[in-house]
Amino acid sequence: MSISKTKDLIGQLSNLERAVSEFSFEELSADDAKELQLSFNSFRNSIEHHIYTPKTGKKTNGSVIKNKEKEEIEKKLLNQNQFIAHVSHEIRTPLNSIIGFANLLKEENLNESQDKKVQAIQFASTSLLKIINEVLEYSKISSGNINFETIDFNLSSLINDVMFLCQTLMLDNNIKMIVDVDDDVPSNIKGDPTKLSQVLLNLLGNSIKFINKGFIKLSVSVKKEHKDHHELKFTVTDTGIGISKEKLKKVFKRYAQAEEDTAIKYGGTGLGLSITKEIVEKQKGSITIESKEGKGTIISFTIPYAVGNAKNIPLNLIESSNIENGKKLLAGTEILVFEDNLMNQHLIKEQLMKWDCKVHTHVNLNKGLAVLANKKIDLVLMDLKMPNINGFEMSNAIRQHKNAQINTVPIVAFSADFTEQDSKDCKDIGINDFLLKPYTLNELMTVILNNKREKTKRTTIKKMLEKQMIEPKETTKVDLNNLLSDCFGELDMLNELVKLFKLNALEFIGNVKMHLKTENLQEIALSAHKLKAGFAMLKANGMRQLIVDLEANSKAGNLEKVKNLYQMFLLDYPRLEENIDYHLTILNKK
Amino acid sequence: MGKHVLLADDDQLLASLLNFRLKKGGYEVHHSSNGREVKEYLTKQRPDIIVSDIMMPYFSGIELIDFVRNDLKLSTPIIIISSAGNEQNVLSAFELGANDFITKPVSPTELLVRVARELNK
Repeated sequence: MSISKTKDLIGQLSNLERAVSEFSFEELSADDAKELQLSFNSFRNSIEHHIYTPKTGKKTNGSVIKNKEKEEIEKKLLNQNQFIAHVSHEIRTPLNSIIGFANLLKEENLNESQDKKVQAIQFASTSLLKIINEVLEYSKISSGNINFETIDFNLSSLINDVMFLCQTLMLDNNIKMIVDVDDDVPSNIKGDPTKLSQVLLNLLGNSIKFINKGFIKLSVSVKKEHKDHHELKFTVTDTGIGISKEKLKKVFKRYAQAEEDTAIKYGGTGLGLSITKEIVEKQKGSITIESKEGKGTIISFTIPYAVGNAKNIPLNLIESSNIENGKKLLAGTEILVFEDNLMNQHLIKEQLMKWDCKVHTHVNLNKGLAVLANKKIDLVLMDLKMPNINGFEMSNAIRQHKNAQINTVPIVAFSADFTEQDSKDCKDIGINDFLLKPYTLNELMTVILNNKREKTKRTTIKKMLEKQMIEPKETTKVDLNNLLSDCFGELDMLNELVKLFKLNALEFIGNVKMHLKTENLQEIALSAHKLKAGFAMLKANGMRQLIVDLEANSKAGNLEKVKNLYQMFLLDYPRLEENIDYHLTILNKK
Repeated sequence: MGKHVLLADDDQLLASLLNFRLKKGGYEVHHSSNGREVKEYLTKQRPDIIVSDIMMPYFSGIELIDFVRNDLKLSTPIIIISSAGNEQNVLSAFELGANDFITKPVSPTELLVRVARELNK
């Protein structure tokens, strides 16, 4: 592997490690968090093994005849490329789990600080995945050229991500992080966002490593405006320990032995300024450094970027602005929440109030009905399975009420599980839609927007019901008898296998979710393939068929179909798992 | 002492079941979930039979057969686990010297019969 790539990997790995260990796992007892930590540990072991284990392969001997020498070099190159391909594959597998579990974790009910930390894990691991994919690409071309993307991206959201990650790297809270972006800097630009964040992370990471007082500042300005592009100037200023004159001459020198040592010794983001320089220059940019020992360092680089177009930016990259749009539509919506758990009540209230909704929470039917009669409530959120109150009965009472203002209110049910019977009951009562816990903020927003009063008319309510409520299905059936007899009737073994199976399914869900974002159908096919055997063992033939279809459609490149099948999987899998548990309970009782 | 089986499969679920059944069948089992480990293990240990998935990270079942037959020059029986629709791989496996194969979904009982048959040859 080339030196620069190895350094890239080590640098990003440290970012990720920092982010993962920053995340206090005691705070959160979720299984996802534990899985994430496990994945990370196995990932780190694997990558360290590959980076630090000396590669076999003898140095070419100068005295051998030319032909033989050439042959050996070619063989070495081939070995090296195979090596890189293997390493990349092996690293990618656990890394995918890290990303998958982080995605799942993100959907837990996290507090704000936990949420930010998970976001840092997501950002760091995705950066790392990008680099590893590059390494794979690199091994293919093996010419030493780095490939650059040219895509539209939002500069301020990239800077936010980078700055947030830097905040998590910062141990000393007394050091100020300042961002200053000039007003005339275009918000969307066209170029390689991964490389830009890499460069910024390297520079800011260096500053963080060598600072003990003062501030670190990132400023962005337009150096020159051309017809078809802007030359953007990024400056990182810090009040750190600075660099001596002699060393300053060497910092940009390529592959200087001394630096290699530093990178390994310090780990950290220390990816060497030489590599940063290379990345900047490959994008037709330039980089300069000024430093005074004991005072601080100023590093500036310029890169030309064409002005980008927000329309070309994939949705997930501007998700935050989508939420902004949704917020506008939601502002002023009056929502009545029936939820008897105080924690949950508090949480959902917080979420809704952030979107400027008016929220009423009640656990008492009569008080709730009074609110419905006196206020113009746009939507009812009903927890179906509260310990002390029956959400079905409450919904029924609302629908049976004589007052038309009350009985027409849209009702969205939410629950951590949803059985076939529940779905029938909801349909009979006239509940409009449901939300499966844990839900993402996006899902909550969408379900409210789709159902709140102005938009919902009686006909659409009916349609919605037909679409959402699903009849008992082949895809939720399981039969554990076969597996039990394979286990010679030993229930402990069966329980163990079921546990493994659930873990695999969870990993699958996370993986597919992630790969759908990048539309990586090949990986989805692989994930589906791996899950097939498990469903076969549980005699979950309906679901197995769905997975077979999902694999085939992934291979055939039918993205839409894959998305649909995955949605169906998400909808039915919880019920399938419920059936597994039900069977297990019966078997365990016997 | 029971005969010694090397089980190479990265599917934890299937591997757990097979491991359990092989042990019940009186075999000593070493399970490994990736090819690199398998390779290392084989340089130190000599199992009586190898059961290996064809798709494994780092070092595939096909490479494993090649390694055992051509690098280690061993005639240890090898049974390959393959997925349905992977006939081409099975052919390559046989060409390289695999002794038998079994298709997923794997019936543990069938695998035990095949293992016993190879060992009694």
